[in-house]
Parts: sequence; structure tokens; C-alpha cells
Amino acid sequence: MLLLALALTGCDPAAPEAVTTALPPRAALLRLSVDLRGVHPTEEELAAIEANPDLYDAYVDRYLDDPRYTARMREVFNLRYLTRTGDTYFDRAEAGLDAVPEGAVGDSIGDEPLRLLTYILENDLPYGYIVTADHTVADPLLAQMWDLDREPGDGWTVAGWRDGRPAAGLLSMTTIWQRYPSMGGNANRHRANAISRMLLCDDYLSRPIVLDRAAVDLLTVDPENAIATTPSCQSCHSTLDPLAGTLFGFFHYDDAESLDDAIAYRPENEEAWRDYSGKEPGYFGRPTASLVELGENIANDPRFAECAVRTVWEGFSQRTYTDDDWAELTTLRDTYDAEGGRLTPVVRALVTSAAYRAGEVSDADLDDRLATVRVVSPAQLASVVEDLTTYRWDFDGRQALTTNDLGMPVLAGGVDSRYVTVPSYTPSLGLAFVQERLAQAAARHVAEHDLAEGRTDDAILLKYVTAADTPASAPDAFEAQIRYLYLRITGAPLAAEATEPAALATLWDELMKVEASPTAAWAGVVSAVLRDPAVLFY
Amino acid sequence: MALTRRQLFTGSAALAAGAAMGVRIPRALAAAPDRKFLFFFAGGGWDTTTVLDPHFDTDAVDMDPDTSLGAVGNLRFTAGLDRPGVSRFFNRWGRRACIVNGIDVHSVGHDSAMQFVMTGTSASSFADWPTLLAANGRASYPLPHVVFSGPSYAGTHGATLVRAGGGTLLELIDGSILGRADRPAPLPDAPQNSLVDAYVHGRAAAFAAARTGQGRDRAEGLLANLERAMELEGRAFEAGLSDLGRGVLDQATQASELFRLGLSRCAMIQVDGGYDTHDDVTRQAPQQEEMFVVLDALMDHLARTPGDNASWLIDEVVVVCLSEFGRTPKLNGGGGKDHWPYLSALLVGSGVAGNRVVGKTDDALVAESIDFRTGLPSSSGSRLGCENLGTAILSLGGLDPAEHLPGIEVLEAVIG
Repeated sequence: MLLLALALTGCDPAAPEAVTTALPPRAALLRLSVDLRGVHPTEEELAAIEANPDLYDAYVDRYLDDPRYTARMREVFNLRYLTRTGDTYFDRAEAGLDAVPEGAVGDSIGDEPLRLLTYILENDLPYGYIVTADHTVADPLLAQMWDLDREPGDGWTVAGWRDGRPAAGLLSMTTIWQRYPSMGGNANRHRANAISRMLLCDDYLSRPIVLDRAAVDLLTVDPENAIATTPSCQSCHSTLDPLAGTLFGFFHYDDAESLDDAIAYRPENEEAWRDYSGKEPGYFGRPTASLVELGENIANDPRFAECAVRTVWEGFSQRTYTDDDWAELTTLRDTYDAEGGRLTPVVRALVTSAAYRAGEVSDADLDDRLATVRVVSPAQLASVVEDLTTYRWDFDGRQALTTNDLGMPVLAGGVDSRYVTVPSYTPSLGLAFVQERLAQAAARHVAEHDLAEGRTDDAILLKYVTAADTPASAPDAFEAQIRYLYLRITGAPLAAEATEPAALATLWDELMKVEASPTAAWAGVVSAVLRDPAVLFY
Repeated sequence: MALTRRQLFTGSAALAAGAAMGVRIPRALAAAPDRKFLFFFAGGGWDTTTVLDPHFDTDAVDMDPDTSLGAVGNLRFTAGLDRPGVSRFFNRWGRRACIVNGIDVHSVGHDSAMQFVMTGTSASSFADWPTLLAANGRASYPLPHVVFSGPSYAGTHGATLVRAGGGTLLELIDGSILGRADRPAPLPDAPQNSLVDAYVHGRAAAFAAARTGQGRDRAEGLLANLERAMELEGRAFEAGLSDLGRGVLDQATQASELFRLGLSRCAMIQVDGGYDTHDDVTRQAPQQEEMFVVLDALMDHLARTPGDNASWLIDEVVVVCLSEFGRTPKLNGGGGKDHWPYLSALLVGSGVAGNRVVGKTDDALVAESIDFRTGLPSSSGSRLGCENLGTAILSLGGLDPAEHLPGIEVLEAVIG
């Protein structure tokens, strides 16, 4: 903690250790819950931690055991893998899946590497397993689409490849090499860079290069010769091409191929690197005889560990790594190493750090870097609202905010994993509209349910009022109801002197004048609270 | 004294009452003029020799049969009886048009070339030209960059880019999305909506005021976009947002309407047709002819439509026509042409150096070095890359290219 404080203050030993003021217990637990589970804590949990802030670590453990934690990790790691495009890459009818909605097949395909990550987390395995596993995982749709040999069971189970390909986890997945295709003179370089970007956090395409005119002309007429003889080309290709050389078993393309032929691994092509770069398969100077060796090399590479930690850190801190963050990441990297390369201890270390729990920062420079206000992702917004209201925003049976069908995730600041690959943490116009319309739909659902005549089940949110009540006839019930709405939806009680109850009662009266419907009036009031900044920010 | 939107919204109760009575919320007043940008993108890789880069004096380039060299002023293009719209366009608007030839796009892969052309880089974290322009305008826009169709690279400016494709945004704005969900809900009446909006705005303003640093930036981002949303809801009918059009001309006209109303700074439209003509290059001519017919009609429209900052839109709008790369000089065995890394582009409109051809390809359709100030071939010049054209577009938009792509020379020759 001292090291972190020093790092955060520019290593000034005279600086106070407490450059950050921690969030109050309720807000801290809310942040933790939204980050690890995608939902707000219950009021019982919030009251408990308010009474005893020392319970925070216990809640960390509880939430890390929650099944929703792995879903959040899939979301975080998709920002690195970028496989959730929704694409099926081939006509699903070729796999006999024409009766299944295309989106469902696309979702299964995009999730394959992320579900192997889930397997790793659930079995407490080192993250290196992602590139050393002798299997993949599949649900029935994925198994049918990619012709996998899947263990029986519901949902995602262990699966293997039928074509005898070398088994190296993510590196052997058809999903990966369809998402990152390569053909012709590209000779697997796009794929090699994908490996580097996904697993080492090093995008070759971000490196600056300068080419003189002669090199460019040579590239036009004889690209392999130009790459081999131009120093600026070799600054990347000396390591990129051997990496690409490992992947030729996946390298073939023919428009006329059937699905089965197109996705098949071809051992006979493994030596095809001789026809392109001529660079023997290798991993940064170390020869590699197979995909399996490549996976082992990656898993043992310190950059792989750094990339894993960075992915977790960026995902949960909503910051893009800069050199200023090196000390903070090093602390987490130490945890990763000490815990045998397992990710969950890194997450635990992160969410118990002072930087994570900061609510205010007294240092101006740090205040500009540290996200003391987090913004929900589209998926988090969907799950938070569903948890609070039981309303799920589906279109044709598919969630609007977690699939690309309607383009809603991008409008709300998320990614589509193809054209938009970096989330926006500044609320966009699209997010403002998404929150507004989702709040209206969910609030209407709540009002119709809770105010229904003869309702026998529990109220969702409107538990203090009936359709017959008005602010004039039942002022205490209105006050209690509005206070409860804020408590439940924002996780924070209103102050005794708060003006919101009176303001929303007035709003209710105004809405009643417009439509003369208690349901519409309460829908408006509930939507106003669901649109509170405290729902978007945590 | 003119009110800013923020000041306008501070008295939320008064605002709510006004909105409830149907009073339109005025948009922010922009003191300094911004040029607007309409991008046309021909996906698939257009053949530069079909119109923009004629080569009739060499056997190394296969030109379309029955075509000839067209000339209007300093402009040279491929003319033919099958492309009258091309000649008509240059005859009418040539003094405002600049052809840029020999642009190296550094790739012949569709995805990577598209990214190079639109961002000047191959890194996914860079925003494209229209997004940068929209994010850095002098005025603020409710819909900064509207992508009707075609490529878009948001980079770190996700809040700037608005995808209209598929209509989801429009359904969100007009609220019709509520009725389309599996569990539908009625759309609240406009007065109801305005009352709730005003209350929410007050809460958001209080939330932002209580934050500092990055937290405040994010909270103010929400506040600004709530204001944009309220403005758009009030102006959706005026802006014709219920129908963004289906054809390219419809969409271009709608984009110009967004410009006129000060709602947007940039728009992207993918032009009709598939340009990836590996098997039949004869598809290029009718598609490019159609694009020039659309351009001609659009310029007519811009010349007759009052502007946001200038008297007429034609004096504040820049139209940029691009593809991801060109096509090989010779036909392949199947009557088509394959990918080629040298592209031609067309810029027309406000601030563009009209009646000018910038850049040159040699007899083998390979780019020659040019002087970036004159656009003429020069042995001591530099090779023209798509990044140099991009920084020129940023300059036309009043941005300092060095802030966005440091060290990239600007193709000054296209700037009038």
C-alpha cells in the first residue's frame, strides 16, 4: 500500500500516504458489486457494510464466488480478444443450423475463447492454460458449427477437435482464425499480430515505421523480397514472420470450399512458410516445432503475464495504461506471480487497493488519471436495470444491450468488437437515449405490475402506494415511496432534508394532469429515478 | 448576451414549463464557423482509371473501351458516352473540384486499407477523419458525426460518432423503440417527457458539480449529452429525423439538412454498388457514373440551400469521395481488375483548391513523388500517402493536424 501511495504521488516520499479519500462504505460496495457481478448490492448488504465497513473483504470473496463474476470477466477480456462480433463467418445452414437464429450462433462463436477463460476461472487454473489447454469448450451450437467433439451436458462443456490439430487452447480455435483471417501474401501475418495483440498487448500495427521510396516500390513488385531486405520492415517482420510461420496448418482459402474443408486444420500445409517469408517457425528467436510449443512459449513469456494483469487492470479501472501506471501494475504483477498465474487473486488485489476504492483524490494530476467515477457498460446497465425492475430489454428474444443486432452496445459506449474496439467512458448521446428509453420501458413495466388491481405477488418497487393514492391524500406514503425508490435504485438513502420527495411528488401531480393515469404518473416518476446519474455512474 | 445551452438549462423548472408548452429549445450559438464534411465511400476498391486517373497514352493500363480523355479547365478525367454524368459534373462544378491521384494506401487488404484511408494509421485506437473533425469543431453538435452507412472508426471518441444505420438511433430519439421491444411500453407524451427530462437534468447537474477531475469530466459528458438529447427530441420533426432516406441522394440531402440546422458537422455515406470487381470491371463505369449524377444533384441542392454559417451550404460543405484502394492497371484473366495500393480521391466544395489535379501516377499506375505545396510531380518531393490527404482534410476543418497525427506532412495543394 505504501508503494502504491508513493507511486501514485510521483514517488515523493514526503507526500501524504492518503492522497485518495476512500469511498463511503455503501458506495464502495456498490462499485464492487457492479464491477464483479453487474448488479447493485441488496439493501441488506448495503446496510451491513454501513454498520461494519470491515466487511468489505468478505464481500470481495463472496462476489468473486458469484457466477456473474465470470460473465464480467468475459466482458473484460473481450476487450482484448475482440471475438464477440456476432459473425458466423459461414452460412450456418451448412452446419445444419438454418433453423437457429443467426445471432445465437454468432454469440456462441464469439464466446468460445471467453468460455475457456471461464473454465480457467471456475477451476482455479493459471491463465497460461488459455494457450496450453489440450481442449476447447463448446455449447451445442458451437460444437455443431465447428464440428467439435463435445462432452455431454448442459451449456458449455469441454470439447475437442476431430481433425487431429495440435491442441493449444485459444491458438487452436477455429473461432480465432476465422475472426483473424489471413490469405494470399499476408501469409498469416495478420494472425501473428493478433496473437501478439491479444496475448502480449503488443500491436505491431501501432509501431511507427518509415519507408523510403525504393522500399515502397519494391513492396509493390516483390513484397517478400522487400520485407526481407528492408531494415525498417525487418524491425517488425524479424519476429512477426516466424510467429506467422507457426500457423500454416490453418492457412488455406478457396471460395469453393465447403464449411468442413474451410475450417479443417491441414498438417500438410505446416511447411508452407517456405513458400512465403521463408522464415522458420519461432517465438522471438526461439525455434518452435509446433503450435503446442508456441503456446508454452507464450505462457512462459513475462509479457504474457503483464498483458493479463493489464487487461484486468484496464477493464476494472476504466483507464488506458500509460507509463505513469507502471508501479501500480507491478504490484498486481507480483500478485499474479505469487499466486501461480491465477487471475482471480489479481482481481482481488485490484478491488481491495486504495486506488480502486478512491472516491476523491487530492492530487490534481492523479485526479485527472484516476477514474473516481466509473461508467457502466451497456451489459452492466442492462443487468442493473433488470435486477432492479425485472425488466429485460429484449427484441426478438435477444438482449438489446449485449448483442450487436440493433447496434445498441456501440450507441451506449460499448464495442462491437470489429469497427468499434475501444469503449467510451464518456457518456455519449446514444447512452443518454438508451438510458432514457430503457428507463421508460422498465418503469412502465414496474408501474403496470405494482399498481395492478388484485395483484397477489410482491411489488417490484412501488410497495408503499396504491393506484388510488395521491400526494394530497397520502403524503406519508408518497414520501416513503420516493425515498425507497432512491434507496433501492441508487443504493444511497436520501438525506432527511432532501428536496427530491417533494419535487417528485410535484412531478407526479404534473404528470397526472397530462394523462390522468396513476400508472403513467408513477411510470414517469420511476423512470426519473432510473435515469439518475447514480445508475450510470458507480 | 447569448445564452449557452448550459445556462439555458440551469433554470430547469422554467425550461420544463416551456418545453411542456411546445417551446423549441434553441441550439447552442456557434460564434466561429465550422466547415461541414460529407464523406462518400465506395466500398470494395474503385478503379481509379474509370474516371479520376485516365491513362490513354500507355499500353500498361487497360482503359475501358469507347472512352476518351475528358478535359474541363485543368481537370482531366475519363469521358465516354456511357458516363455523361461525369462530364456534366465537371463542367458544372469543376472550379470547386480537386482530383487527387496517386495516393498510397499502404495495403491491398480491404479492412486494413480502409482503416489506413480513413484514419491514416493501422492502429485501431485512432479515430477517422470525420470523427476527429466532429469531435474538435468549434461549435457543439447534437449529432456530431452521423454514419448513415459505410466505415467508421471511433477511436477514443465513441461519444462523437452516431450510427444511424439500421435506424436504431432514430428509434431511440423518437421513442418508437419502446413499442418494438418484446415487452413493449407506450411512448410517454411529449409534455410528460419534458417534465421528467428537466428533473433528470437537474440531478445530473448537481451530480457533476459535486465531482472533480476525471469524474467531473465524465459527469459533465453526461450532462452535455442529456442536453443534446433534449434538443434533438424537440427538433426531431424539424430535422426530418423520422426518415433518413434510403438512396444515396436521399441520405446526402438529409445529411445536408442536418448540416443546415447545425445538428451535425460530418456524415458518412457508402455509395451504392459493389466495387470489388475481380471478375468484371465493366461494373465500375455505371456505378461511378451514378455516383457523379448524385454528386451533381447534391451540389445543386447545396447551392440552393441556406447554410448554417454561410449564406449557402455550398460555401461551407466539403464533399470527400474515397474508396479503400484502386485496382490493377491491367485486366486479369477473368475480365476483372484486382487490388492496387494507389488510390484516387475527389474533393469538392468549400475551401478546396478547385480546378486542380494533385498527384500523379506514372504509366504503370504507380504513384510519383510530388511537391505537397503544388501537388505537381517533383523528384525532390515526397510520396503521397493517405495520411497526407487526411491531414489536409483536418486542416480544411480548422484542426491542427500536428495535434492528431504528429509529423505527418499536410497535402497543402488541395487547400484553396
